Amino acid sequence: MLLELKQLKKQFKENHVLKGIDLSVNKGEVIVIIGPSGSGKTTLLRNINFLETADSGTMAFRDQQIDLSRPTKEQILWVRRHTAMVFQNYNLFKNKTALENISEGLVFGQGKSKLEADELAEKALDQVGLLDKKGFYPSQLSGGQQQRIGIARATVLNPDIVLFDEPTSALDPELVGTVLHDMKQLADQGQTMIVVTHQMSFARNVASRVAFFADGEILETGRPDEIFDHPQHERTQQFLSAIAEDY
Amino acid sequence: MFDRKFAISSFPQILAVAPTTIYLALVATLIGFIAAVLAVIVRERKIKILDPIVATLVSFIRGTPIIVQMYVVYYGLPQLLYALKELGFNTNPNGLPAIVIAIAAYSLNAAANISESIRSAYHSVDPRQYEAAISVGMRPSRALTRIVVPQLVANFIPNFSNLFLDLIKDTALVYNIGIVEIMAKANIISSIGFKYIETYLDALVIYIIICWIFAKLFQIGEIIVRHRVFHTQEII
Repeated sequence: MLLELKQLKKQFKENHVLKGIDLSVNKGEVIVIIGPSGSGKTTLLRNINFLETADSGTMAFRDQQIDLSRPTKEQILWVRRHTAMVFQNYNLFKNKTALENISEGLVFGQGKSKLEADELAEKALDQVGLLDKKGFYPSQLSGGQQQRIGIARATVLNPDIVLFDEPTSALDPELVGTVLHDMKQLADQGQTMIVVTHQMSFARNVASRVAFFADGEILETGRPDEIFDHPQHERTQQFLSAIAEDY
Repeated sequence: MFDRKFAISSFPQILAVAPTTIYLALVATLIGFIAAVLAVIVRERKIKILDPIVATLVSFIRGTPIIVQMYVVYYGLPQLLYALKELGFNTNPNGLPAIVIAIAAYSLNAAANISESIRSAYHSVDPRQYEAAISVGMRPSRALTRIVVPQLVANFIPNFSNLFLDLIKDTALVYNIGIVEIMAKANIISSIGFKYIETYLDALVIYIIICWIFAKLFQIGEIIVRHRVFHTQEII
């Protein structure tokens, strides 16, 4: 087991966003979380790398046991240095070039030399086919290019887990394919991933397991064919039947 | 009738004290800026006890005329030093130069305004930029210095430029406590020959030139910084 969450709870004022999440992730697995908007999927990811702090719950990650409501500063840093996140709105550093966006974490997160970081960043840019854009700033790139750089920025860190927060939701439809292609390639290389997405075809074709999330709870987890062809929970059935996409 | 000769002959005399105006504005801004950074840290980190005190002070200073603040410092600072002397401190309340009092008052005023301006620039940086930085494993302090502060500075310069130009113009009030700067010199010269419009027009022209030079400098600074930070404008 690479990561195990137990009874993760989070509320914002009176709103119980996460009502006791249990989730385990094995090395090399692609966990795809689907469910209606506003159900707490993003909050779950943000609690894993401490962009939010949970009210209660525990996390076992590699050999560390962490109390999610009282993490130490060193634990937070350690988790962030072993995970990486791809954001819905890319969140590339506006004041850095494409290359610097990727090398920044290597130098200032992992302590690599500038030279080594630049080499790795160039390789990562080449892998997503954007080496010719290395000197470009985010404002000079399309959404699809920005998100592919966002993925390169995350994976270049060689993290144990990559957290994807609706990585294609802000993209124009014709740009979604390239980003999903990069993600599938990563999955094929054995990268452990937790993906929050509305792309059902991605969930069906790439996921090791699919978790259906609604109202702050995981209502159902299973192989993609189990969830999509034989959903057990009524809410899952309703959700899937309401989706127009042919998955 | 407008005495052109008088206006021309007075101009260099008034210009000669312009360094006092510039000196006062620069020193007050520098001290105010340092105090403002500290105030921003206190306010943004919500440091207990200090946060409400700083918030009240800033609100008080921003809500009162600078001339009143100057008089409060002018009459209050010597009394404070006297009280400290009574308590055994080695302070000398007598003979405190007027320029020190003016710098103290204007620094306080600048600190309050600049601190709010820095906070506004800080909040205009998308918080997700910071989140992205810490998510790649940067320590929070590093995320601030590498990602947030450069963007903050680019957003801050236009506002800072306005505050500095305001401060230059506000220094026209220090003649009230006996400092001879542009306005005071204009007053003195005009009272000699009762030729007011001539000397005040001189002062007006000098203020315009000083403000124009600084406005231009800030404008160039802004273009350079924005180009370096966001790569959005070409350097002219």
